[in-house]
Amino acid sequence: MKRYIIMRLLYTVVVILGVSILVFIITHVIGNPVNTMLPLQATDAERAALKHQLGLDKPLMVQLSEFLSGMFRLDFGKSWWQQVPALGIVLHKIPATLQLVATALIIAVMVAIPLGIIAAYKPGTILDRVLTTASLIGICLPPFWVGLMFVLFFAVKLGWFYTSGYGTIRHLILPALTLAVVPMGHLAQIVRFSMAEQLNAQYSTTARAKGASDFSVLFAHALKNAATSIVTMGGMDLGRLLAGETAAVEVVFGWPGFGTLIVDTIGRQDFPLLQAEVFLVAVIICFINLAVDISYGYFDPRIRY
Amino acid sequence: MKKIWLTILILILAVALVAGCGGPAQQSQQGSSSNNTSGTSTPAKDSIVIALQGEPTTLDPQYPDDGNMRAVTDNVFERLLELDGKTLEPKPGLATDIKAVDSTTWQLTLREGVKFHNGDPFTAEDAVFSIKRIIDPAYKSQIAGNFSTIKDAKVVDAKTIQIITDGPDPILPKRLTKLDIVDKKYVEANPDKVATAPVGTGPYQVESWNRGVDIKIKAFDGYWGNKPAIKAATYRFIQEGSTRLSALKAGEIDLAVNMLPEYVDQLPEYKTSDGIEFTFLRFNTLRGPMKNKLIRQAACYAIDRDTLAKSLFMGYANVAQGQMAKPGYFGFNDSLKPYPYDPEKAKQLLKEAGYNGEVIQLVSERGRWLKDGELSEAVASMLTDAGFNVKLTFLSWQEWLDTLFNVEKAPDIMFSSNGNELFDMDRFYQAIIKTGGPQSTYSNPEIDKKITEARNEMDTQKRLQLYKELSQAVYDDPFGIPLLNLKDIYGMSKNLDWEPRQDSRITVYEMKLK
Repeated sequence: MKRYIIMRLLYTVVVILGVSILVFIITHVIGNPVNTMLPLQATDAERAALKHQLGLDKPLMVQLSEFLSGMFRLDFGKSWWQQVPALGIVLHKIPATLQLVATALIIAVMVAIPLGIIAAYKPGTILDRVLTTASLIGICLPPFWVGLMFVLFFAVKLGWFYTSGYGTIRHLILPALTLAVVPMGHLAQIVRFSMAEQLNAQYSTTARAKGASDFSVLFAHALKNAATSIVTMGGMDLGRLLAGETAAVEVVFGWPGFGTLIVDTIGRQDFPLLQAEVFLVAVIICFINLAVDISYGYFDPRIRY
Repeated sequence: MKKIWLTILILILAVALVAGCGGPAQQSQQGSSSNNTSGTSTPAKDSIVIALQGEPTTLDPQYPDDGNMRAVTDNVFERLLELDGKTLEPKPGLATDIKAVDSTTWQLTLREGVKFHNGDPFTAEDAVFSIKRIIDPAYKSQIAGNFSTIKDAKVVDAKTIQIITDGPDPILPKRLTKLDIVDKKYVEANPDKVATAPVGTGPYQVESWNRGVDIKIKAFDGYWGNKPAIKAATYRFIQEGSTRLSALKAGEIDLAVNMLPEYVDQLPEYKTSDGIEFTFLRFNTLRGPMKNKLIRQAACYAIDRDTLAKSLFMGYANVAQGQMAKPGYFGFNDSLKPYPYDPEKAKQLLKEAGYNGEVIQLVSERGRWLKDGELSEAVASMLTDAGFNVKLTFLSWQEWLDTLFNVEKAPDIMFSSNGNELFDMDRFYQAIIKTGGPQSTYSNPEIDKKITEARNEMDTQKRLQLYKELSQAVYDDPFGIPLLNLKDIYGMSKNLDWEPRQDSRITVYEMKLK
């Protein structure tokens, strides 16, 4: 186990390094941020001066080595637009996104797991079909649109929540609910599918034959065995949401999180900030994957590292 | 049984743990703002909430080119001369008087009894420091280009300063309306705080900046001028237009910028003003098919600008009057009219030119300006209808910018937009028309001579005449096609009373509540 975790951590370092270099090269090849930063009518001399100021006139390899040596010290340089250390900006924005994503996942788990279990328990019934269809619709609806509809109904028409902003629970509910819709659909489907599979398995039939109650079969046997797929899906959803899939929802609700920051950064071509963001996302995703993998051992004792 | 519940509990706890991370950090964020009213449904009687499209990158008004920041700093800082919101002419600001001593020296008399928000008196040193700071290459101001003609500034006496330019510069007074005055002592003592806690002389002072959430300003008690009617304002950052609309409908905000024409019917109240952006097509007159004047003129006749303004922009755009200016810009030529829409004439001109259907590249981008993609598509189809063989390509913003400035590889026609913030035709001619200008794909020695002459002409009437001749010249031998001047649409709450300005500044001190 220890050896496995150490190997995985080393692997994580390689992945982060690879991703960072890739992003560095892509951003530097794509275009010239100097044009984005200056007004359209700036003179050639102004452009050249800014390029020099940002160090963009140095050879690419020199820039890359400076970037890498900075990265190991967790120093990504100052954001070109905000003139403060890039990593600080990212770290400042992460809590708001975590708060949103965590609330969304809690909502998704609380709704999807019971519903998925009920659907699996009564397969083929109207209830099952309604739940399956509803979860499919949930997955297919664009969060952006769902968010706007929520705003129109719950904020503008009913006035229960704020249309946008940050700070109170009344600001949080609508974006969290919007963000929960897709994971809710995913989870409900995966719970329904893996539970049905487990309930049809030999051991469930045996347990029932021995006189075990439905409740015991469902929760003591099937749910635990289904948990590996549920955790895998949950982990993937968590990773995707943190990596910027919240962006659309954050933009709709004016939520001051990581997603809005990433959208803004790409628009402004703020290289140091972009690199700090990619670095942090890579770290987060690697660790979520690691946590998911380790949890397998708990849910399925047959898995050994 | 225990194990089952343990499993469920772990699942929930794992998520809740992540949720926990958000708690304390959020509190600390909130801590910086004493009285967080972001999103409160009804603003108090003498304060308002304004929704901007994004958060300012900094509040140092001399550093970036950032519209979101201007919305705040235009109320917090003042300039030596201010721009009249209606006439676009300079008027007294922190300087009560400006006069040209000789062709390169301007003398300004400063207003007395002006205080900065921290209590420091405004002095001649502050004015000179502000000018020197913005032109200092080491400071790398993104708007330094507006002040490139200024060579030096010096204190004459306690209430007089002089500005020295590198040649005659008749536009200097207008340039000064873009130069915010900062407190020398404060900037020197707190270099790290300038960007976040600005100190100006304006009618409002910054009360708090809750990063990511809002910026609050309040009326400055020691302000030298008339006290503003609005006592406090909160700026919120809402990127998405439909969310700004919803917030306005829900009564959470009083003013929202950049509303779409489609939203107008749903807005509680709205006002428009002519914006500063001119969309246009730039021809590559240096090489390729557009080198031929007849083909260029044919393109001018092929575009139905009235229809574009009416259908695409639902009337919230004005047809450019054959030039990249509207009344009020220095150099506007009121005798010029846009080329009429006449596809038959276009076809005839193409025939005369011997155009044999070779491909004409039209390069554009999407998402930077209101409906830019749709506008380019409509233009391409109008050109096609008139007999052009147009190939329309959309580039990303970044590629588009690189293409715009890479004059050597300029496409035949390029869609672009120009916001002339000095409201003086000099910069347009320098950048887009003059041979070798950063965006120029045009070359005519006689026109070049006139552009230089106009820049150095201190006699206003003579300079005006030169620009009129210039606009006529690039109209007859088209550099491109000025298309539309897009209007600004402001969504407003029913009780806000404010007249939008021609320079798109959002002036809280000119607002009132009904």
